[in-house]
Amino acid sequence: MTTTDTGERRRASDTRPVITDLIDEATVESIAAEAWVALVGEDEVLVPLPGDLPADILSSWVDVVGPWTGSVVLTTGRATAEELSRALLREHAPEVLDDEDVADAFGEIANVVGGNVKAALPGPSALSLPQVGNAPLVRNQADVCRLDVLWRGEPVAISVQGALPPLPGSTPTRKNEVS
Amino acid sequence: MRALVIDDSRAMRRIVTGILTGFGYEVRDAEHGRAALDVLDEGWLPDLATIDWNMPVMDGLQFVSVVRANPAWRAMTMMMVTSESEHTQIVRALAAGAHEYVIKPFTADAIRDKLALLGLLPQEVAL
Repeated sequence: MTTTDTGERRRASDTRPVITDLIDEATVESIAAEAWVALVGEDEVLVPLPGDLPADILSSWVDVVGPWTGSVVLTTGRATAEELSRALLREHAPEVLDDEDVADAFGEIANVVGGNVKAALPGPSALSLPQVGNAPLVRNQADVCRLDVLWRGEPVAISVQGALPPLPGSTPTRKNEVS
Repeated sequence: MRALVIDDSRAMRRIVTGILTGFGYEVRDAEHGRAALDVLDEGWLPDLATIDWNMPVMDGLQFVSVVRANPAWRAMTMMMVTSESEHTQIVRALAAGAHEYVIKPFTADAIRDKLALLGLLPQEVAL
């Protein structure tokens, strides 16, 4: 008897983990909270509550390439990113923070959070240098672990999001809502 | 004592420099491993180098390997200060010749404790 390959069957190599199989929001929250206390200040807490991001937002992120490939993205209002940068630098902050200072400091926060997220994922993986700007698009809505928090009352989104589109037959893509 | 702070993040260089200056160190900084080698080539030899891992031009692991290959720089203590926190990465850095490893995020107390272990904490800095 002859059978027809309809494309429904999948080889083992066709499967890959999505981020929610590997890490949960509580772990991301714990990593972010530790980073905030150490980098931003001992009394700085992240409140796990959603907030409306303003129109003028800035993202910083690092890419993770390994058994799971994607990005760890921080997104917040531009003014909050500047406040975060000043808090990070504390007494070492220059009187006037320029855009490069903010990009550098906000990127470093993503680097620290991303490095610790990477450590919680299966390895070996490589970590990119931090980038700042418009966040990469979410290419597979099923491959996202997103945490919404408030810092000093301002919304910050922390998204661990896959870089690869869904496999054929799985969830369709849509654009990242925070970018 | 002298320290060379190597990190591509200007913010992190400021923070680590501030901590070490507070401990009485004379500090210079560099934005990547190649720039740090230029400082060493000038003849400015630090007692301590704090080294980020992921940097453009020359990363921290390459820097450690180059320094270890030069007997003239053997007296310098190398401490990785990085967000690379996987056990395998720590082992790689130590195998390449780093003496200590601090994972970001860190506190000033964590740096102080590591320096004390390395015998690089000036006596006037209380533990």
